Amino acid sequence: MPTHASVAQLHVADQLLTLLRDTATEPRPDVQLDALTLAVAADLPVLLWGEPGIGKTAALTQLAAALDLPLTTVIASVHEPSDFAGLPIVGDDPAEQGVPMAPPDWAVRMVREGRGLLFLDELSTAPPAVQAALLRLVLERRVGSLRLPPEVRIVAAANPRSSAADGWELSAPLANRFVHLTWTHDHEVVVRGLGGTWPTATLPRLDPERLPAAVDFARRAVCGLLAARPGLVHRLPTTEAQRGGPWPSPRSWEMTLRLIAFATAAEASREALSELVRGTVGDGPGLELLAGIDRMDLPDPEALLADPAAAALPERGDLRQAVLDGVVAAVRRRPERERWDAAWALLVRALETGAPDLVVVPATTLATLRREDWDVPESIERLAGVVSLSRRADRAAARVATAGRVGR
Amino acid sequence: MTGETLDLDKLYAARLHAARVRPYLATALFALRVVESRRVPTMAVDQHWRVYASPAFVAATPEEELAGVWVHEVSHLLRDHHGRGDRVARERGLTGRAERLRINIAADCEINDDLFGDGLVRPEGAVQPALLGLRDGELMEDYLRQFRLGPRTQSLAWLECGSGADGLERPWDLGPDGAHGLSAEERDAVRFRVARGISGRPGNAPRGWRRWADEVFHPPQPWRRLLGAAVRSAVSGAGAGDDHTYGRPARRAAGVPGVLLPGLRRRPPRVSVVIDTSGSVSDTELGSALLEVAAIGRALGGRRDLVRVLPCDAAAPAVHQLCRAESIPLVGGGGTDLRTGFARALGTAPRPDVVVVLTDGQTSWPERRPPCRTVIGLFPRQPPARAWDDDEPPYRQDPPPPWARTVSIGTGPSR
Repeated sequence: MPTHASVAQLHVADQLLTLLRDTATEPRPDVQLDALTLAVAADLPVLLWGEPGIGKTAALTQLAAALDLPLTTVIASVHEPSDFAGLPIVGDDPAEQGVPMAPPDWAVRMVREGRGLLFLDELSTAPPAVQAALLRLVLERRVGSLRLPPEVRIVAAANPRSSAADGWELSAPLANRFVHLTWTHDHEVVVRGLGGTWPTATLPRLDPERLPAAVDFARRAVCGLLAARPGLVHRLPTTEAQRGGPWPSPRSWEMTLRLIAFATAAEASREALSELVRGTVGDGPGLELLAGIDRMDLPDPEALLADPAAAALPERGDLRQAVLDGVVAAVRRRPERERWDAAWALLVRALETGAPDLVVVPATTLATLRREDWDVPESIERLAGVVSLSRRADRAAARVATAGRVGR
Repeated sequence: MTGETLDLDKLYAARLHAARVRPYLATALFALRVVESRRVPTMAVDQHWRVYASPAFVAATPEEELAGVWVHEVSHLLRDHHGRGDRVARERGLTGRAERLRINIAADCEINDDLFGDGLVRPEGAVQPALLGLRDGELMEDYLRQFRLGPRTQSLAWLECGSGADGLERPWDLGPDGAHGLSAEERDAVRFRVARGISGRPGNAPRGWRRWADEVFHPPQPWRRLLGAAVRSAVSGAGAGDDHTYGRPARRAAGVPGVLLPGLRRRPPRVSVVIDTSGSVSDTELGSALLEVAAIGRALGGRRDLVRVLPCDAAAPAVHQLCRAESIPLVGGGGTDLRTGFARALGTAPRPDVVVVLTDGQTSWPERRPPCRTVIGLFPRQPPARAWDDDEPPYRQDPPPPWARTVSIGTGPSR
């Protein structure tokens, strides 16, 4: 018999639980959350890799709230293939009507709602037959005879092999359909979160004005790389370490293209884009693509030569040197008096706004491009400091050489 | 403290010299941003690729030595000593300033053993492994296990390469929000470009740098874990082990009339392990291979009767039931032909579901795919292939066949 007192105590317990559940969110720069929301916005299936218990589910709950989508969690490992492929139901006359594949209740609910966030948890511990059934769900959005509406977004989670005690690993075809994001816990986020405040997941704000430019940029970035490096188009993972992870294929490059377009239109951070690109085609090809994008971001040598007075050179030394090298290479390609003078003006500008040692190599190369009838421009006087710097380095090299000979 | 100002020209002349003698590091050297600081003893870096320089130190040090310091400091950053230092401190519970000093010293040992010479002068007081009585060519993590702070390191107590070398924030650090720092993504991009430069022209760089370039974005994986995963996935694939099948209805089908549910059947897989006992495989490697055999046996649920071991050289002599791993007689020593091993493994009844081969790869392989899953544990005799560079396919003699899953055993340092 429940006494009045015990009922009252349960009521108090409920109040305490409600207080504990009462958490707030705060905007906070969070690269992995940005990458996740961007991929979800781009309607690409995401796979979160992370140790158990580091808040993947909490992040998904936040994301669903931010997107205002009902969250459906399906633990893949406790399901059977039929739960995703549909259950065959024998009717009155199978020969006449066929055997329909009945979808599970959660899929029916999602179709009825017309939208939602489907979270497939513990994907890596699902047996191979379940993974095979999931392939169709992730790729075609089909569950049995049902088709999930386009407004349904799919996110999956898996434990890395190191922590999956009895895990199967992801098959290469299934792995190739996901954007792989590594989910690590940020100490501060966890502490703030336990204190009651989680970071807000905000949908990327896509600027309608930027859409065509974003598509153009993404196409140039991906096609530029693949035209130069055909070997990167398709490469099945060969080493054991890369199995079950992202790898380049025409499909994953298409996903990359979409992600670049979304990141560009949303003006997402380069960090988030890096996570996404490397998580889609793998580290090596991804880094090559990002290096290519870096080069696209650099000012065009021809534009700089056309108007050296207005040139804005990058602040970072290595990028600045790449630009100056590009300018000298452009002059070498088409050596004309005006271009040569413009290049000197650019070098002077570089000297006045940054470290002088960067200018030495381009200046030396540019000097060798002089034609007999070209007069040395006056501005070259201002490069005297560079020459003395170069001499100073020469002298240091000579001292090293002498010391080496003496020492021997 | 004297009131002199930082001689930037001297510092830049030194950087120019460094970039000329180490062209493959030029990108990284130029990416560094100089910050004048009177609080650092010499020169130090932070993890955002800023280099803090003491005016007095720069004034007192000749250009050629400063060039060595430049290369030394940028090496800390390229090799991610702050990230690795943080990780190792967390893993091994190393706390306090003294432990960070130890990390800094170990990191210096990793860098300095092949950094100087060839146009670059060793700065006075640079730590070498020999100074601590250690061998060259090891990693910071390994050095860290091999020495303590004591009389030998007394003279190094002033050593200070900054948070970029050991991961501990310094009072002078400008932090992530300070001016002109590199973001994590930019740091990766610089490291990637340097690594590509080294891999593209490996002749110019010393061995340590080539190894770094090969591994920087593909650190060696713990092979036990990979072998375990490969074997596990082989035994659990379709046709072996436990998986769902419509071959037999599920027991819970009784509760849902009219619905056909697949059943989950468990048939423990049979595994045959072929061990290459030819002369070219060392005893140590065979020992570790045997340990793996025992581990695979346990992974299959302790049913040792399902694991068969076949020592194999030119004439695979006998088939052993795995009763006790230590007692398997591994005779042999001649040339290997693993094809006989495969034939023996597949010829015995009942036929195995999975064949695991442990070999150094100096062998002929079956021409056709055997009718079961195959996992090859390979003791490599050549440096590992670069995974992402298809410009120069690595040279390898008779690689393992593509139908097998291959795990390299015992490669690379343990991290």
